[in-house]
This record gives sequence, C-alpha cells and structure tokens, in this order.
Amino acid sequence: MASTLRLYLTCIRNTLEAAMCLQNFPCQEVERHNKPEVELKTSPELLLNPVLICRNEAEKCLIETSINSLRISLKVKQADELENILTKKFLRFLSMRAEAFQVLRRKPVQGYDISFLITNYHCEEMQKQKLIDFIVQFMEDIDKEISELKMSVNTRGRLVATEFLKQFI
Amino acid sequence: MAGTEKFVEADNAEAIITRIEHKSRKIESLLKQNKPVEALKTALEGSPPMTRDERCKSANWIVVHRALMAIKDVDGMFSSLDPEYYDILMKYLYRGLSTGDRPTCDQCLRIHEKLTERAGLGCILRSLADTVNAV
Repeated sequence: MASTLRLYLTCIRNTLEAAMCLQNFPCQEVERHNKPEVELKTSPELLLNPVLICRNEAEKCLIETSINSLRISLKVKQADELENILTKKFLRFLSMRAEAFQVLRRKPVQGYDISFLITNYHCEEMQKQKLIDFIVQFMEDIDKEISELKMSVNTRGRLVATEFLKQFI
Repeated sequence: MAGTEKFVEADNAEAIITRIEHKSRKIESLLKQNKPVEALKTALEGSPPMTRDERCKSANWIVVHRALMAIKDVDGMFSSLDPEYYDILMKYLYRGLSTGDRPTCDQCLRIHEKLTERAGLGCILRSLADTVNAV
C-alpha cells in the first residue's frame, strides 16, 4: 500500500519536472495582455497533451501544461461520507486563502478537489524544484490532515455523547 | 486536403485493424511460450502512426495492455528492450495510468519509474509534446 503511494508520488514528481518548462508568452489575440494559456485554451498549438495519473479508482491527478502555465488538479481519496464532508470543508478553507499560497487556484477544476495554477512568473520568482517539492509534500500532508480531522471529530463526538448521557444514568 | 485524408483513413482503418488482430494472435502465442518481452516488442512496433481513428488506437491499446500486464520482471524487460521503443512505451504508460483500473495503474506506475530512470525526463516531455502522434 505504501509502495504504491511512493510510486504514485514519484511518477507525479517526474512528470512535473518534465512539464514545468514555462516561458513568458504574451497573448496572441489581444495586444499587451498576458494570460495563462492553460486556462483559456484558445490556441491548440500552445497546449501540450494533458496527462491523467490515477493511483486507483478514487485518487487521481490531472496535469495540463501549456507554454506559459501549468495546471495540476488533485482528487483526494474519500473513503466515507464523513471524509467527504471534511475534505470539502478543509480544501474550501484553503482555496479561499489562495492569495497566501500564490500557486493555488480559487476554484478546483470540475471533477477534482483542489487545483494549482503555476505560471512562468512563479517559476521566475521561485525555484522549480522547491515548487515541485511543495506540491508533492502537499499531497502527502493532505491525507494525514484528513485522517487527523476525522479522528478528532470522532473523539469529540464520543466525549460529548458520554457527558450528555451521564445525566440519564 | 482534409477530405481526402478522411477517405484514406477509412480504407486504412480496416487494414490497420486486421493487422492489429494478426499481431494479437502472434502476441498470444508468444505469451504462451513465456516470452513477455518479445510480446511487448511486437505490440509496440506496429503502432499505427498518424491515425486519427479511435478504433485503431483502442484496438492497439488493448493489445499493448495485454502484453504489459504479462510482464513480471521489469528490470529484465529493460535490459532486452531497444531504446527506440522507450518513447512509444511512455505514451502507452500514460494511457494506462489514465484508465484508473487498479492493477493496470500499479503495473504502469512500476514500469514508469524504471523507464524514467533509464530514458530520462526527455522521454516524458516527448510524450507530452507530441500532439500529432497521440496514442
């Protein structure tokens, strides 16, 4: 189980290293505009093949690249309803503070839980290796966070129920 | 120009599909003789280039998938596979990873790691950048 996680993350890391070759490219349609081409998808010659890496039926990662931007969308494993709700709330919390993260996208792509948008400006300001490390670390930490949240919800529920039902003893 | 292309495609598609069926029979016999690497080589070499017909691509993918799943020894496979097949193998690996089926993804992830070590990041980038010969 752990070995597939390691292989999955290695595959994503290698693909990102290869795909993160971004350069500045001013918009072709409108002068003096500079837009992330992966979001607009107006010119097919500027886009590379999107790549979908699935670990199993529940977890997957979509990597779409273009000449000046790269979009990574993640679908996190959600085993039951509680994890579903916790994941949605937690990732919505993060997405609303996307300004602080800089590379985070405010809304996830349809069908996924969270999305990153990396542009050539980010690659110029920050180191490419560190960006990739950040994304892979994020993926590892998300699973830990969600299971911690789930455990604390269960513990709290148990405590509250015990206290409440004491009055009926 | 595009019209004549489509006409040629339709004729070729039938020819290509018969060729693929031929290939799959050969591959089944190679697998029975316990030669998974030979089977994979056969599956990869006749890959129809420049076909836009989805049926040919799916037919070829099924054949390659069969050969890929039969491979147990990944390191041994690479020692006997020629480098010219690395690029096309990488494209098929990404197609396998997009299926989402657990055993396929496990196998593809395993082979992907070893293939990247051997062929480098250039192989990945070629499979991303090649929009014409998409698998």
